[in-house]
Order: sequence, then C-alpha cells, then structure tokens
Amino acid sequence: MALIRTRALTKRYPGGVTALDGLTVDIGEGVIGLVGANGAGKSTLIKILLGLLPSTDGQATVLDFDPATQGERIRELVGYMPEHDCLPPDISATEFVAHMARVSGLPAGAARERTADVLRHVGLYEERYRQIGGYSTGMKQRVKLAQALVHDPRVLFLDEPTNGLDPAGRDDMLGLIERIGRDFGITVVVASHLLGEIERIAGWLVAIDNGRLLRTAPLASFTERTGQLLVETEEEAGPLAERLTGRGIDAIADGRTVVVDIASAGDGEYAVYDAVRDEAVALRLAVIRMEHRRHQLEDLFRDEVVAPGATT
Amino acid sequence: MTAMPETTGTIYDIGYRHYDGPRLGRRGAIGAIVGAGLRAVFGFGRSGRSKIIPWGAVILAALPAVVAVAVRVLAGDILDLYDYDGYVWNIGALLPIFIAAQAPELVVNDIRHRVLPLYFSRPIRRIDYVAAKIAALAIGLLAITLAPVLLLFIGRVLSTDDLVAAVGEEIGAMPEIIGNGVIHAVVLSSIGLAICSLAGRRAYAAGAVLAVFLIGGVISDSFSENGQDVAAFVSPLAVLDGTRQWLFGGAVDGAPAATSELPLALYGLAALILVLVSWAVLAVRYRRLTA
Repeated sequence: MALIRTRALTKRYPGGVTALDGLTVDIGEGVIGLVGANGAGKSTLIKILLGLLPSTDGQATVLDFDPATQGERIRELVGYMPEHDCLPPDISATEFVAHMARVSGLPAGAARERTADVLRHVGLYEERYRQIGGYSTGMKQRVKLAQALVHDPRVLFLDEPTNGLDPAGRDDMLGLIERIGRDFGITVVVASHLLGEIERIAGWLVAIDNGRLLRTAPLASFTERTGQLLVETEEEAGPLAERLTGRGIDAIADGRTVVVDIASAGDGEYAVYDAVRDEAVALRLAVIRMEHRRHQLEDLFRDEVVAPGATT
Repeated sequence: MTAMPETTGTIYDIGYRHYDGPRLGRRGAIGAIVGAGLRAVFGFGRSGRSKIIPWGAVILAALPAVVAVAVRVLAGDILDLYDYDGYVWNIGALLPIFIAAQAPELVVNDIRHRVLPLYFSRPIRRIDYVAAKIAALAIGLLAITLAPVLLLFIGRVLSTDDLVAAVGEEIGAMPEIIGNGVIHAVVLSSIGLAICSLAGRRAYAAGAVLAVFLIGGVISDSFSENGQDVAAFVSPLAVLDGTRQWLFGGAVDGAPAATSELPLALYGLAALILVLVSWAVLAVRYRRLTA
C-alpha cells in the first residue's frame, strides 16, 4: 500500500526556480531513502507533503489525505525532523518534548508518559532534565528525533538527520533510524545527500535530481552485480588488457585497473579468473585485488537516465 | 538459611509502545500553546527571578483597590479614592512594564531558535499559533486590567451593610469593568506581540515595547496639555482610555480624552486600527517565517 503518492507534482518558486518538476512517485512502507544532491528538491517535497508549502501544480496524498486541504489531519499523524537547528536552549528536553507532544494533540498525561518513553528510546537519560542549550550536537539531534516521534506518528520525515554529527554519532543515529523502521513499525522517509548512509539503512530508494524522479526501486537493485570483473594491479594495466583482448576477452584498461567483461569469455567466470592469473604471471604483474563490479548509487547521478519502469 | 536475594532495580526493556489514545487535534494543540504561554507570562516553571516583574505588577495593580476598600471600611463613604472609570488609566504605567517583560518570552525564542517549523508541522495553522500567543498574553494582562477593578467592585459591595442594595447600586459599572479590561488586554497584547515578533532578541523586544509606550505617552501628555489633542493618538494607553470614555462615559482626570475637543469615537477608531495593524504585522511576519 502506498502511504504517499505524488502525481506530476510541481513547485516553482516566485524567483523562477523550479524545485519540483512533474514528480510522480509512490512511496510504501519501511525505511525509504530520499536521495539527491543538495537542491534536488528533497526538502521542498517534504514541506509540500506536510502541507507547509503549496504546490504549483499536480497532486499529492499522504495517508490518503490531501496536503493542500487536509494538512492538519496529516500533521497529526506524521513526524518531522528538520535539517536545521530548531531547539530552544533555555528549557529541558523533557519539558520541550512533552510540550511538543501536546501541540501534536496528545492529552497531558499521555504526553508525559510518551516523552519519558521516547527520550529513553533515543538514548537520553539523566541529561533530559538539563537545559538543551548545554547539549552536544549528538544529543540535540536525539531531541529533534524525539520530538518527531513522541506522538507515535505513522510516517516520519527526517531531513538530513546526520548533519553535523561525528562518525560515532552518525552510526548511532543511523542505528536508531533503522530500529524505528524495523522494530517500531513506523515508515521513515530519510532525505539525504549522503548515499553511503542511505545504503546502510534504506530498503527502498527514491532518487531525485533537479526536481525530477531519477529512479525508484528496492535498494538491492541499485547495487546489483554488473557482470564485470574489476582487476586492480600494482603497475600500469595496459599490457594486461591487451593480452586479455588477445585471448578474445573484452577488457579495458584505465590506469592501474582493468575492467573485464565476464560474459565475453564464453566459458564461464572461472576461465576469466584463470586467464587474468595466467597473463598477470606472464607479465610479472602483481594483482592487488579482483572483484565483481557492482552498480553504485553514485552511478545514478553520473548518467542522468531515467530507467525504464521508473514509476513502479 | 539465607533469604533469596531481593531483585531490585531491574530494568525491563519493554520495547516500543504504540499510542492509541485520544488525539485532540487542532483544539488540543491551541489549548497547549495557550497553557504554556500563560505559564511563561507568569513565570511558572521558571526561576524565581522571572516571577518578580509579572507578580510585582499584579500586586501593585491591586494595591489601590485594597487601599480604597480599606479606607471605605474605616472611613465610610466620605472618601472615594479610586473609581471604576479611572482605575486602569491610573495604574497604566504597569502595563508597558508587564508587556515588555513577558511578551518577548512568548514569541522571540521560537523565531530566533527556529522552533516554528516544529509547531507548523503539527496539527495547527500559522494563524492558530499567533492567536494562541495573543490569547495567552491577553489572559495574563487581565490580571492587571480586570482583576483589580473586580476586586474594587467586590470590596465596595461587601463593605456596605445592605448587600442587595449595594449590588444594585454598583452593578451598572460591570459592563465598563469587563469591557474596558478586555479591550485593554486584547489591544495591548496584540501591539506588544507585533513589536516582539519583529525583534531578534528578547532584550531588543523589551526595549522596543518600552520605547513605543513611553515615547507615545510622553508625546501624548506634553502636547495634549498644550491643547494639541491629536497627539493623544500616538499613545496606546491614551487611545484606550478615550475608547473607554466613548463606550462607557466618565472622564478621567489627567487623561487626554477628558479634555479633548475631538469626537470620542475617533479614539475607538484608533484602537481598532491599532489592533488591525498589529494583526496584519503578525500575519505578514509569520507568513514570511519558516516553510
């Protein structure tokens, strides 16, 4: 079931900038990576879906509600963690998150209970009674996540949640997001320009560029094998490629690597391995590593071609 | 033999719990903002220092009523220290101080620290947020513009021998007491928050509020004495007293409207314009902010 649908969604800002350009995509359950470079339209899409920004053209629904007319119903059932700092410094995390729970519509008692629960889930303990102004960046990110989660939303929108975090903080935050999606059963839409992070947590990917859909598919299909073997050598790899080509195997050298087309050998991948080994020995060339080349997420943005069936 | 070791302090991770209780939606959200705003206005849940100005103002505002009732009890009807018409005008100096100290608390930090997107991504509209903040400050201001006058009313009624007769005598002032108190609270909180919403820091906001009221008051007082009645319109408090006199009658010694040649309805019109301009400023300001 699609929780979020857009149809030819378009947003043009008064200055003439087109942030979204006819975006059509269905988003289902799970952890969804919304990837694209800075300025690709990720934040604009989230704001339109929250009903905070009117679209110029096209339609959208979130949980079957229309953001343009039923924004309040949507905002009751979704959580939003903005990219930027958004916390008042002179109040404790407990007080702030409980207040935000009530503004989400929870009664006072439930707001207090859920605040305690959620702060524990994001890993804030004794320090939750201290003023937020004294928190580290990592702790502030946890409070931002907690306020988005406190009213038990069906869908969580996280805009660049690892911004400003050190590597350990990043790991923690990604672990938390994964847990929210898997254990809490909440659909998480994570907007990020860091493909490496998205790769670790998302089950499904929506890639946008210049406000257009580049591709939407399960993460695995973005990174499947390409049928190519990558051979890295210690010195110039040109001679190796030539000798392999002499054997009837398609091989292209690029500096100290050779890309070999496994299928072109005809008699299976082991024959290709043997050929590489034999020719390297003959050339007295040290092979550093051999691996199956996989599609990389970055490839998406290198050649901007919308794959067939992109709107599935 | 030895007893079983007691298991104390065991923490069970019960995992994530979903919430299927009631969701109060927009109404609950607005109520929560008004409630939190009222706590901020009176310094509840904050340090003792932040209670000094609001509570000091509330006590000082009630003092004349307490004194007047005490005098009446001791000396009888011979001396009427304070009447309903002039009460709010006479304690008027407390209002800018109260607003300057408490209004910035309500709006400045949410803008400065960019908390607004968190509010607007919840089941409210922008206008709900602004209206809730105005309501919080206005209800707070009633502690100065309404409560002391009600206290005076109750004191005057209770200090007589014939309660029923006293109520009959005094009840005619009730529309003025409530009407004037509410108009003051709504107009002043709107002006105060409009000014604060434009300031980047709480201290600037407080300064700007004081400047507008004090400069307006000084100009109004000094020019009105020279017969230049129009000057009263730069002072919100003078405008509001004129509005009171227009609606309920009763000139107040020292207030510009009392000696003015201008039609009193102009003060009412000026009060209306002040409110509408303040709301327009707030609407534009909050539309620009965020998203």
